[in-house]
Amino acid sequence: MAQPILEIRDLTVEFDTEDGVVRAVTGVSYDLAPGEVLGIVGESGSGKSVSMLSVLGLIPKPPGRIPSGHATFEGEDLLTMSSSRLRDLRGGRIAMIFQDPMTSLNPVLTIGDQISEAILVHNSGTSDDDARKRTVELLELVGVPFAERRVDQYPHEFSGGMRQRAMIAMAIANDPAVLIADEPTTALDVTIQAQIVEVLKAAQRETHAAIVLITHDLGLVAELADRVVVMYAGRVVELADVFTIFNEPRHPYTIGLMNSLARLDADLDRLEPIPGQPPSLITPPPGCAFHPRCAISQGRAICRTEVPPLKAVGVQEAPHDSACHFADELANLGAARAGTAS
Amino acid sequence: MLQYVIRRLLYSAVVLVLASFLVFMFVTVSGDPLAALKITPNVSEETVQNIIERKHLDEPVPVRYYEWVKDALTNKFGTTLLTDEPILPDLWRVMKNTLQLVLVAELLAILIAVGIGVYSALRQYSVFDYSMTTFSFLGLATPVFWLALMLQVAVVQIYLATGRNVFPIANLNSVDPGEGLSFVIDRAHHLVLPVIVLMVANIATYSRYMRASMLEVVNSDYVRTARAKGLAESRVTMKHAFRNALIPLVTLVALNFGTLLGGVVVTETVFSLDGMGLYFVNALGTNDPYPVMAWLMITATMIIIFNLVADITYGLLDPRVRYD
Ligand SMILES: Nc1ncnc2c1ncn2[C@@H]1O[C@H](COP(=O)(O)OP(=O)(O)O)[C@@H](O)[C@H]1O
Ligand SMILES: [Mg+2]
Repeated sequence: MAQPILEIRDLTVEFDTEDGVVRAVTGVSYDLAPGEVLGIVGESGSGKSVSMLSVLGLIPKPPGRIPSGHATFEGEDLLTMSSSRLRDLRGGRIAMIFQDPMTSLNPVLTIGDQISEAILVHNSGTSDDDARKRTVELLELVGVPFAERRVDQYPHEFSGGMRQRAMIAMAIANDPAVLIADEPTTALDVTIQAQIVEVLKAAQRETHAAIVLITHDLGLVAELADRVVVMYAGRVVELADVFTIFNEPRHPYTIGLMNSLARLDADLDRLEPIPGQPPSLITPPPGCAFHPRCAISQGRAICRTEVPPLKAVGVQEAPHDSACHFADELANLGAARAGTAS
Repeated sequence: MLQYVIRRLLYSAVVLVLASFLVFMFVTVSGDPLAALKITPNVSEETVQNIIERKHLDEPVPVRYYEWVKDALTNKFGTTLLTDEPILPDLWRVMKNTLQLVLVAELLAILIAVGIGVYSALRQYSVFDYSMTTFSFLGLATPVFWLALMLQVAVVQIYLATGRNVFPIANLNSVDPGEGLSFVIDRAHHLVLPVIVLMVANIATYSRYMRASMLEVVNSDYVRTARAKGLAESRVTMKHAFRNALIPLVTLVALNFGTLLGGVVVTETVFSLDGMGLYFVNALGTNDPYPVMAWLMITATMIIIFNLVADITYGLLDPRVRYD
């Protein structure tokens, strides 16, 4: 892999809550290569959003805190740099698109104001007129019709899909090197989702940004991602290129996700893909957090006593990591599944 | 927007007519205003008869209502029952006094409460936040008359101890009006204690309100978006959080203001302030229905107007509000 643009190492994020300390993210490490699309998948609550928000300093502190970890962007650690340096990067070199376009835009400011603001804060020499012109261009780029007129409208005058386009325009305003898209289509109608995917592709063509695509929609991952990180209970449980993940999954949780996709071909949100409940992050199950729901553990003691480390599996040419004590047993199972699916 | 305001004004006019009728009926059925006069010795039959004729008290109710409305609209809100004095000059004077008192108290209360609310929300669970929470509960739990009396007692104690009279404890003035600056200073001096009394409860309410709405807003998705854009924290707070958080408070204040203009009865009574509240209490005491009705109508008008003001400001601050 080329020199990564963003390296996350051993990131842990905790929240103090009334019920105890929530370990939202535990020892997460992965790299993001320039220009690639990295999918982060996992059930809701598995720490996908927090892992990205925390490196940008966007989690509330308190109650949040980051007891350990590094997040190196172009050689600088985002977690230790000054807050003003981090502000320069936010919305500049690293931009973010949020899940819910209905609530992520300020209701009392016009769409144009909110996009221009992103331009002006990172380009102090720009005149208001130029910022406005650029805003209209950006809106046209993301496919907002009558951009010249709609730039002066308020968010409530935009549909959900149009708002998400505006959010994407805002995110790419300063030509970011990294674009974090946190469930960019989840809140939208199915027909609109496909359009937003096209806009995201266009945005990437335009900016050549590396994209971190947070989602629980495996269809979206298959369509956009180059590589995939699978998260469970705040940890990375599997990491591989998208082809490998779909064809040779080596973690029972990933296999569960794949099966539910193949079997039901439907929304993971509503249909429980894997029997059992996601674990508590305050008192997670001992050992492997997945063992109470695991189909292959079969009560073996090590699953209850030892946290499985994330280690290389499979062939050398295609890096593939899994955090399962019995990842080897899954080699054939994955292949068999690959034969029956598709 | 203009259309909306006109429609609301017309609608308000209808409400006022209905209110005037209800007020009239209510006051009329509550007894014979001349009952006391009729049994007073030294009052001749003729005097009573004169009053009855002047005020059309022997006519059927609809006629009396019509005469009252006509009198009110054409003749300075009508005249008093016994002395036939016009009501408007008195009412006008007490309105100005109450307006002055309420305006000063409200403006100060809003400024202080907004500061407290915003700062408490930004420093949630800090010592400051806890102190202000405590203050608010005390402020809300303290009866207005008790606070007013305690302030008076304190001033008297200071006077007894030091011989200095720090603040006047009654009335609105001790110099005659029309003496320019010294009159203004004298008035301000008299207003200090009543304003404090009025402010305490309002600061308590408004600051809680502001804190709650600011907390909601600073944790909102769009404020996170503003941070993700790379804005400085001060700009996130002022441009994105503060303006949104202010919207509910503005509405509350506008509504409250209309009610306050009806007079702040307890404060005005304890400090003997010549305002709307005291006027109303005195009018009730004299058994004269005409000032009472005039007061009720003015107060109703104020409440209706400030309801409209609340709606309009809400629409100006929040583009989502549609007038149709
Ligand atoms: N501000 C917060 N306070 C307490 N807990 C939080 C906070 N933000 C997130 N969490 C917890 O962190 C965990 C991971 O959340 P998140 O990263 O949003 O999950 P997802 O994978 O759905 O994006 C969840 O259990 C959530 O309850
Ligand atoms: Mg999330």
